[in-house]
Amino acid sequence: MSKVNLKTELAVLKLRNPIITSSGTYGFGEEYAPYCPPSLLGAITVKGITPLPRLGNPVPRLAETPAGLLNSVGLENPGLEEFKKSYLPKLPGLDTEVIVNISGFSIEDYTFLASAFQSDSGIAALEVNISCPNIKHGGMAFGTHPESAQEVIATVRKNTDLPIIAKLSPNVTDIAEMAKAVERGGADIISLINTLLGMSIDIRSQKPVLANKMGGLSGPAVRPIAVRMVYQVYEAVDIPIIGMGGISTWQDAVEFMLAGASAVSIGTANFVNPMAPIDILTGLEEYCQQRGYGSVREIVGLAHQR
Amino acid sequence: MILKERVVENRIMGHPAQGLYKMVLSGQIAQTAIPGQFIHLQVADSNDPLLRRPLSIAGIDKVKEEVTIYYKVIGKGTELLTRIRENEHVSVLGPLGTGFTIPEQGELLLVAGGIGVFPLLSLIQVIDNEKVRVKLLWGGENKQFMESAGLIDIEKMGVDMEMSTLDGSLGTQGLVTALLESYLDGGRITELKDKGNLKVATCGPKGMLKAVTNICLSHKVPVEVSLEERMACGVGACLGCVCSVKDSEGNLKRKRVCKEGPVLDGKEVVWDE
Repeated sequence: MSKVNLKTELAVLKLRNPIITSSGTYGFGEEYAPYCPPSLLGAITVKGITPLPRLGNPVPRLAETPAGLLNSVGLENPGLEEFKKSYLPKLPGLDTEVIVNISGFSIEDYTFLASAFQSDSGIAALEVNISCPNIKHGGMAFGTHPESAQEVIATVRKNTDLPIIAKLSPNVTDIAEMAKAVERGGADIISLINTLLGMSIDIRSQKPVLANKMGGLSGPAVRPIAVRMVYQVYEAVDIPIIGMGGISTWQDAVEFMLAGASAVSIGTANFVNPMAPIDILTGLEEYCQQRGYGSVREIVGLAHQR
Repeated sequence: MILKERVVENRIMGHPAQGLYKMVLSGQIAQTAIPGQFIHLQVADSNDPLLRRPLSIAGIDKVKEEVTIYYKVIGKGTELLTRIRENEHVSVLGPLGTGFTIPEQGELLLVAGGIGVFPLLSLIQVIDNEKVRVKLLWGGENKQFMESAGLIDIEKMGVDMEMSTLDGSLGTQGLVTALLESYLDGGRITELKDKGNLKVATCGPKGMLKAVTNICLSHKVPVEVSLEERMACGVGACLGCVCSVKDSEGNLKRKRVCKEGPVLDGKEVVWDE
């Protein structure tokens, strides 16, 4: 049997294979290196960076739910300056493509962050988290209105020459509208889904489990929602999609690719099985081989033909 | 590396009401484990519970290549743990985290609350008794726990111990912090303290750790605390299990309980943010 071509092209972003790890689940790439060599992955996405350092939320930050995990870390990160000084220089040593996730609370924040990363910064792309609240406009998340989502992406577009990945929030009524908005704003790639807003209450203490009361739900529980959204976005836009949301096995990855994802990102599954990205890649390759596909890209969007 | 360790033993200890279990794992963990570290164990091959469970190492046998852990059944995860049979293999990450400092002289005072006694046992194991004097103060709910844990006769194993229980069924009635205060007020301790030769290591509920730390610091005795927090990844990637600390300049910082901890210097921990 011939070998399956795993090379993945997401617009101008070229990866050795379609397996990526998700922001917030993979630290700055070093933590999982002893378990899963980053050089075997298509790319890693590092923890979201904000202009200034953030302590994040108090604990408890985690609540386990059936097949899911609620988190409210609150974007704890060292801030742009410390990231560039202490973490960025080490990233090329990981021998994989690195995507930096940026998060802001105002348009100015995104301008500042985007300007700080260019094609000579040693990274492959910027992923723009638009799920944060817009502090200057009543705290509504940028990513819940097409106009503000488009504005954020257009701002980032103006200030960097790196490929831009717009990470969509699933906490919206019409995901296709949001996808079209970020495409208009100049996004090269769309990644989805971010976590779903959820809550868990301890019936003994009769209080919310999370100190922040609400948090983002991830894990296998959210997968059908993510698959549906990837499917809808694939039909709505012409730019490539990175699918994520509860992917734990190679079967899950195949499902996302059939729905229209050109690449997949692994998040919560890393916590359970640090080898998950490698296991998924191996299974995906075997699936393609057994079905006679010469390239993994041949299965992207196939579910739309039926 | 994800390890596949063999379960040598997994059984209930003593009275069923305590829900206390002992598990012995054979494999690579013991080779590099130090007291105060933990393992991250996959309890079942299912999505519920989704996450691994962090479990403190209570015993390390480098010759037999075995580690011992103790756990109390408190939820679905620990209930599933009890169903693992002997000779089954379990998926384990570890040993993880930063453990206790091992003193080489003077006196080591261990202050334990309830099931928090177990991580301290691994510390007792590695101490050179000829050079370091070990004293254990334990506080808990009742006598039944210590009987179930098989620690009622720990003094016969050469460990000098004082106990307190909430119901007075064992030792003095009250909290372990009372034992600590009266111990630190004693004469011999002044002598040790002056030489900087007394160190405290403590493990138990958060409120107890805070009280123990405050007592130790007011007596100018260094104290290491073993913290507990809800964890997801166990390797420092997800930032789920942080605690607050103050750096030398007084700035509030975060440390990861799974990475820089679970054992931290008590004087840097900020208990109430």
